Amino acid sequence: MTPAISVTGLTRRYRDDTALNDVNIAISGGTITGLLGRNGAGKTTLLRILAGQEFPSSGSVRVLGAPPAENEDVLRRVMLVREDQVYPDIKVGQALRAASWFRPSWDSALASSLLDDFGLRASKAVKKLSRGQRSALGITIGLAARAEVTLFDEPYAGLDAVARQVFYDRLLADFAEFPRTVLLSTHLIDEAAALFEAVIVIDRGRVVLDAPADVLRGVATRVSGPSLAVDALAGGRPVWERRRLGSQASVVIVGPLSPDDRERARSSGLDLTPLSLQQVVVQAAAGVLAPVPQTDSETERASA
Amino acid sequence: MNTWVKVARYNLVRPANYLVLLWILPLSFAVGAVTVGRRPPHVASGYLISFFLYFAVLGMQAIGQSLPFGLTLGASRRSFYFGTALLGMALALVSGLVLTALQAIERATGGWGLSIHFFRVPYLLNGPWYATWLTSAVVLFALFAYGMWYGILWSRWGLLGTLAFIAVQALVVVAAVVVVAVEHWHVRSADGGPYAGLTALGVTGVIAALTVLLLAGGHATIRRATV
Repeated sequence: MTPAISVTGLTRRYRDDTALNDVNIAISGGTITGLLGRNGAGKTTLLRILAGQEFPSSGSVRVLGAPPAENEDVLRRVMLVREDQVYPDIKVGQALRAASWFRPSWDSALASSLLDDFGLRASKAVKKLSRGQRSALGITIGLAARAEVTLFDEPYAGLDAVARQVFYDRLLADFAEFPRTVLLSTHLIDEAAALFEAVIVIDRGRVVLDAPADVLRGVATRVSGPSLAVDALAGGRPVWERRRLGSQASVVIVGPLSPDDRERARSSGLDLTPLSLQQVVVQAAAGVLAPVPQTDSETERASA
Repeated sequence: MNTWVKVARYNLVRPANYLVLLWILPLSFAVGAVTVGRRPPHVASGYLISFFLYFAVLGMQAIGQSLPFGLTLGASRRSFYFGTALLGMALALVSGLVLTALQAIERATGGWGLSIHFFRVPYLLNGPWYATWLTSAVVLFALFAYGMWYGILWSRWGLLGTLAFIAVQALVVVAAVVVVAVEHWHVRSADGGPYAGLTALGVTGVIAALTVLLLAGGHATIRRATV
């Protein structure tokens, strides 16, 4: 099956800066994918290129089977919700009305309902909205457009926890009813982790991790407890991180633990904590995808 | 609905910018009528320039303010550009018609009873109704297209890009003046007749050709613009 988004050898250079460097990704249709990475990693550039708002320096980009740049057949089916969206001097209701003209699957009832949920008034000027309210407007347009490919770039900047939960709930509910391809860039990884079917991590313009979320959730476990027991369990296994403090030690073991391993850990008084998606992403962004060799140093952390 | 029409409609979603047009004519006319003086020929048509210049402002605003959200809505750069140009052309045609009608009234009333020449611009807008309509619409649209080009440059390349654009134009104008002076070309006839041997309709034709160049330049620029 043709992926909804297919990027091959994508590079974007700005004078002396390379925002994206030989990026290759393929995202299946009808999935929610997390696009994660540090500030300045290249996430926004990638999303802008996918939405036809920026041009690649080299490489191939296909969205819904065709290059998006200046391709209206694709552009009307792709929606990018940007944290830094610039609006003309219009009111909230006018922005929604304009969106309804361009978007073939626009749902006015959903838009009105989201306005209510976010406490936005249609008569309010966009320039008078707070940062969080502008984010809420972007989310409203992004969800009500029901675009086949919806790209969210830090969509909830400035939104409070309640409003963010509204976003997650409404996205999931609408996604269940009208499946589409969603690519969500966020720094609130653990908060949004439950949404993701796959995760792509970009660091300094390169894809450093591209895997199903389920695989990543069980990919590593932190083992803490008496040093001897920790070393015994970790012996011969790939390890990401190793810390030692007196007689206590903590390591991050890569790979699944068998029931026997868990029983050994329990009987040795070891504490097992699965690494959260955010912790896995931090490791990936730091370039720590290779195991760390065992040393006797007091505290040690892998570096890129 | 065609995307060009949607873009034109999107530009009109906030009508305030365009409603200013309704106020410029009576205000500039009032200023002209008060300041024209008692001595003939009572020509106050210079004040009409404000109406024409506002079209450049409209073109600039249409692109500068609306482009980023327009692309987010799903329009291509090409559709956004020509949809906005379509709006400018429609406004120019309607405004030209209004100017033509007001010129006819001015003629019929002997200059509004005050012998004022406001809508009868010597040489350019002083012929038959169709010539007035055509010339005013072409000039208004040319200014709109010129403003759009500035809007694109400002939106994408900011102050530096806009200043560079102005500098290049200034160089072209200076070069043209130097060539005319060195070659001793007579741009205007000694008896105050047509410029470079052109009638008002001839000038309209030249401006129309320039407008095509402006549109081509603006389109080539917006195709490279990112938001």
